[in-house]
Amino acid sequence: MESVYLLIPISIVLVGAAVWAFFWAVNRGQFENLEDPAELALEEDRLIESDQDANSNPPPRS
Amino acid sequence: MTAKSATLSHPLLEGHWASEADGEGHVVFAAEGIHCANCARSIRSTLDALPGIKRADVNVVNSRVSVSWDTSQLKLGTILGKVAQLGFKPVPLVGEAAALAQRDERRAALKRIGLAALGSMQVMMYAGGLYAGAFTGIDASMAEILRYTCWLITTPVLFYSGAPILRGGLHDLRRRVLGMDVTVSLALVLAYLASAYNTLRGSGEVYFDSVAMFILFLLVGRYYEMRGRHQAANVTDALTKALPTTVQRIDRDSGQAERIELSAVHIGDWLRVGSGQVIPVDGKVATGVALVDESLVTGEAEPARRHSGDVLLGGSLNAGAALTLEVTRSAGESTLHGLVRLLERAQSERPRLGLAAERMASWFVVRVLILTTLVGIVWTFVDPDRAFPAVLAVLVATCPCALSLATPVAIAAATSRMARLGVLVMRSDAVEGLAKIDTLMLDKTGTLTQGKAQIRRINVHGDLTREHALAVAAALESASQHPLAAAFREHGGEKLVCDDTHEHAGLGIEGTVAGTRWRIGRAEFALRGRSSESHAGDSDAGDSDAGDIVLADEAGNHARFHIADALREDAVATMANLRALDLEIELASGDRPQTVAQVAAELGIEKAAGALRPEEKLANLRALQQAGHRVLMVGDGINDGPVLAAADVSMAMGRGSSIAHAAGDLLLLRESLSSLPQAVEVARRSLVIVRQNLRWSAAYNMSAIPLAAVGLMPPWVAAIGMSLSSLLVVFNARRILR
Repeated sequence: MESVYLLIPISIVLVGAAVWAFFWAVNRGQFENLEDPAELALEEDRLIESDQDANSNPPPRS
Repeated sequence: MTAKSATLSHPLLEGHWASEADGEGHVVFAAEGIHCANCARSIRSTLDALPGIKRADVNVVNSRVSVSWDTSQLKLGTILGKVAQLGFKPVPLVGEAAALAQRDERRAALKRIGLAALGSMQVMMYAGGLYAGAFTGIDASMAEILRYTCWLITTPVLFYSGAPILRGGLHDLRRRVLGMDVTVSLALVLAYLASAYNTLRGSGEVYFDSVAMFILFLLVGRYYEMRGRHQAANVTDALTKALPTTVQRIDRDSGQAERIELSAVHIGDWLRVGSGQVIPVDGKVATGVALVDESLVTGEAEPARRHSGDVLLGGSLNAGAALTLEVTRSAGESTLHGLVRLLERAQSERPRLGLAAERMASWFVVRVLILTTLVGIVWTFVDPDRAFPAVLAVLVATCPCALSLATPVAIAAATSRMARLGVLVMRSDAVEGLAKIDTLMLDKTGTLTQGKAQIRRINVHGDLTREHALAVAAALESASQHPLAAAFREHGGEKLVCDDTHEHAGLGIEGTVAGTRWRIGRAEFALRGRSSESHAGDSDAGDSDAGDIVLADEAGNHARFHIADALREDAVATMANLRALDLEIELASGDRPQTVAQVAAELGIEKAAGALRPEEKLANLRALQQAGHRVLMVGDGINDGPVLAAADVSMAMGRGSSIAHAAGDLLLLRESLSSLPQAVEVARRSLVIVRQNLRWSAAYNMSAIPLAAVGLMPPWVAAIGMSLSSLLVVFNARRILR
């Protein structure tokens, strides 16, 4: 039971660290666009034209 | 830039955000921090009290403040300073500063939510321990530690995350207004203090978890409301966001280009706009042919061709090769700015719906406080221990957040959606009005026709082919400035040359083509009094119209050209769509009766009249209204003032210079009515959603209050319910955007 006396202060410190990290992320603009990343995952992979033209040889089989 | 240095070098004081005319200054700016009707009211009353203020309007939905003042008595800096003093930061509407301001507001809100979320979760864990302890027994010292820890975590949540709420409550009280923030702040502060007291005392209930969660859910709801407000604001922001800060000016003599500030452009300057760049100011095409995409201003997706001398609108995109334009209006006076100013001014007017909601809110809060006191008193007699939680729960459950969000959020979404259709909502009650109409009264046939004189029919008589008649006519009209001449110029198959051209003003043109003397113009002129003879020879005499143009030579060969405006390709479809919405259409126009009759016939419109004077149009309108119809009047905006004002909803056509005069509940930026059926559908859907929202919020409040009063609903459940209902209302409104 006595461990709780130690764990509670540690948890407070952890919450503080979490809040600090969140504030840092917000200030760095990581939460600017919350909608597009979700759409990005659903988009088809796009071929990059220049690569296709440049490579006349097909990539080697691994 | 800190808030204190704001008035010294404020972006609003430079640039072209404030304009001045005849000693009267105008400015429109965004005031950060407005989130409820009371904020708006306090700004308005403070500004109204300043000497020299002519008009001050505040719009809650998009945080716009629109001010007019006497420049001899008052300075812009003073006005901005006063607004800042009240706690609302003035920022420019558009451009970098505005985007930054929006971004900062969002970030601040996110940080508050982040702290509240992390804090709430933590406090819930500790409080969970306390709840468990209540059942299975807990050490007194352990309980004490948990309580103090809850208090520790809740404090920053209340004073940092909850700061806007508490500040709002204080503002309200200072102005002796009972707003929503008052009840919420009261609940929060009471709960916090009671819990703190109990923690120090060492026994009794603590409500820190409720406080933290209440704040969290409240903030999340307000975050989405803020996003909605930003979106509504960005509708007009999109109009000017694309304008560049520097432009390329061409020196006419040397052909040299120099880069100058947009604000330094003068009327008459020649500017070069590269391919794909935005046209920065209003002007006219200096040389050659331009291809412009005007979708930003009118919503029209098709690029249009503009020839030398044609008008170019600032804000449109150069979709063709690089072009040179001659500036006709300075940056601050461009069509775009006129539109933004007009829109902001119109939207700042107190909407009738908003005022009603304000009055209801105060009434509501008074009753809530009375109810809460009653509940407290009753419980103190029945079971004193449960008095406080019950009081707290009632305070939270009665919070009318959802109710006050229900309408504004839906209107904001509808405004945004309709702007994409090229229909600008000038007054927020226009949406409701548009949803309820059953009749459409059109003034301009120009919305249904292409607006171009076109040759519809050619009847030839004598030794003359249609092609030759056209070629001769084109030759005769080639140099004419008459509007009808354009119809002939486009049809030149064979290019003939006309010598010895003589234009008789108002009658026609005569000239020699290939040795033959021809006359073209009105029948009497061209046929030189032989009209009675030619009538007998006409095979299609019944179709002849006094407005026809006749081409005749001296030998009696002649051709009759029937010139009229062709219908737009989408006109038939638009009419069908409007009828599908159960709308009756009537033409009550000041245009020529023949035109009106023809358009009506082609579109199957039964009630049509032309050459109507404004009083007659008004009489028509009144007759319809007395018969119980709700009418949407689509008119010119310039000279249809009284009729537009009398209609249930009015739509003005606005383009270019007419925008300044446009007066209506709605402004149509396009040339055709094709987006009107969709706009009506959006309006109807919004009304449905508003009703849904109102019903839901009322239902929530009605059911939660008795439960809370009786003690069946603990404060934290009330907090969740209240915030969830706010979120539900906001998300429901977003459906309109689809």
